[in-house]
Amino acid sequence: MHNALKIFRKEVKEIIKNKNIWVPTLVISLMFSIVMPIAIMLFADFTDNAQTANFITNLFGEETDLEVALIDFMVKQFIIFLLLIPAMVPSLIAPASVIMEKDSRTLEPLLATPIKTSELLLGKTLTSLIPSLAISTLNFVVLSININILAYLKAGLVPLPNLEWLITTFILSPAIVFIITIISIIFSSKTTDIRSAQGIGSTIILPIYLVIGLQIAGLFLINYLYLLAGCALLILVCPLLLKLAVKVFDRENILTKWKMK
Amino acid sequence: MIEAWNLTKKFDHVLAVDNLSLTVGQGQILGLLGPNGAGKTTTIRMLATLISPTSGRIAINGLDGKKESSQIRAMIGLLTEAPGMYEKISAYANLSYFSSFYGLKEQKKEKNIEKFLKMFGLWDRRQELVGTYSKGMKQKLALARALIHEPKILFLDEPTSGLDPESARMVRDFIVSLKEEKTTVILCTHNLHEASSLCDRVCIIKKQIIKEAALHQLQSTQQATEAEIIFAHHAQKYASLLKKVPGVQQTDAKGNRMRISVKNPEKTNPLVVKKLVEHEARLIYFHEMKQSLEEIYLKIIGKDNHA
Repeated sequence: MHNALKIFRKEVKEIIKNKNIWVPTLVISLMFSIVMPIAIMLFADFTDNAQTANFITNLFGEETDLEVALIDFMVKQFIIFLLLIPAMVPSLIAPASVIMEKDSRTLEPLLATPIKTSELLLGKTLTSLIPSLAISTLNFVVLSININILAYLKAGLVPLPNLEWLITTFILSPAIVFIITIISIIFSSKTTDIRSAQGIGSTIILPIYLVIGLQIAGLFLINYLYLLAGCALLILVCPLLLKLAVKVFDRENILTKWKMK
Repeated sequence: MIEAWNLTKKFDHVLAVDNLSLTVGQGQILGLLGPNGAGKTTTIRMLATLISPTSGRIAINGLDGKKESSQIRAMIGLLTEAPGMYEKISAYANLSYFSSFYGLKEQKKEKNIEKFLKMFGLWDRRQELVGTYSKGMKQKLALARALIHEPKILFLDEPTSGLDPESARMVRDFIVSLKEEKTTVILCTHNLHEASSLCDRVCIIKKQIIKEAALHQLQSTQQATEAEIIFAHHAQKYASLLKKVPGVQQTDAKGNRMRISVKNPEKTNPLVVKKLVEHEARLIYFHEMKQSLEEIYLKIIGKDNHA
């Protein structure tokens, strides 16, 4: 554990220096947490109320107060952004962390130290896991405050946090971060190029885009039962993926089977 | 002390090392020689417990290579074929990071980093990013990393590769000085001059050991050795005389010089000199031309290729 923390500390410093990782994260976080809720609220003032009412009625059933309905709608829709950030950030960090070792050919000297491969895997996982969770939690806090302020100004409501948001932030998001991290690490062992590794990472998050698309189209609406089912499914997958990652992170595997530059 | 018994390594169906056994005593330097793909790096990786042998056993200072690999790695230093340094952090940060895995106390760690960076002439540039370093500087830094925890067993894969002549000499002198500290070294090199100047013993491998011996033994066991004789007069008149000396295989005289090929030079050469003196030859110079390690190596590898 001690050695894993050493790896984590060193790599976090490098991630902070790596603009390719934190600039897209920052831009997307700002877009989703601050710009979009404000834009939706402003846009709602200028839109055709009848059309909006029709769309929301389709989703939520009959609602007499349109502004309350709009806030309900926003609370539901923004859950998907809470999912997007934990899916995106580890798919940027985890491949970078592994490919960096391949680029600099530091894996062999690192493995020649008394470090255990489980510590190396844990260090790499923490490097992706902790910043991703920190960013998604921060995103949750900022987005909640922003929506609460807007809801209060519009309708005198403070809708957040609710059960769905809490499940998403504290159970589903960590599970997604963990899964994306582990899958990214596994796939990074097979490539030497950071872009293709991150490309694979983006492919992994496609099912999340599908959920987002279905909800935006009004064909599906997330509720806490769906969220709990999703959590159960993902938590079941976690140990299997971890087992696979431990196999991939075998010392001999790394030195003889990983694709190197 | 490094001991290996019947090491075999297969990668899927490819045999990389075949039934290799060796022993390197404390304070000895063993040169591991062989052509590309001979299994030198695989052997070093097995001995450094980075990969497991398919069969066979390893013991490093009495510790079992399979059961106590972590303890073994704590006591060895490995210079890998490629320097492998983090290019976006400084040389000092690189050494500090790698040394942190050996459990050195902070004060000792700082002292060693300073000692080795100064030794390799990198101290003044310690805060610069390694990415700005030349190939030779990276190689020296990698060597400093292998030594940072003062290991008693060192595996050096091409330690002077990429170094300028001055730095290469400094590294060679340093390797020699390790002997005084009783450090055991396995040196993997293609530089046969380096091997002959540094190693107590050499081991020529090509998947398995083809020849292992102390350098002087290797030279003396080679059958034909040449000697050069310089006379104060024409050499030709002694050619037929020397051909009759038992052990002399061939003579080649040009001007006042003669080159002879002999079998068993330790016995034959004194007979040659005696014969010449008896016949009142005026000798200026008699030089036994020992074969260089390169000649011996090429002969051994050549024989093996034809076998």
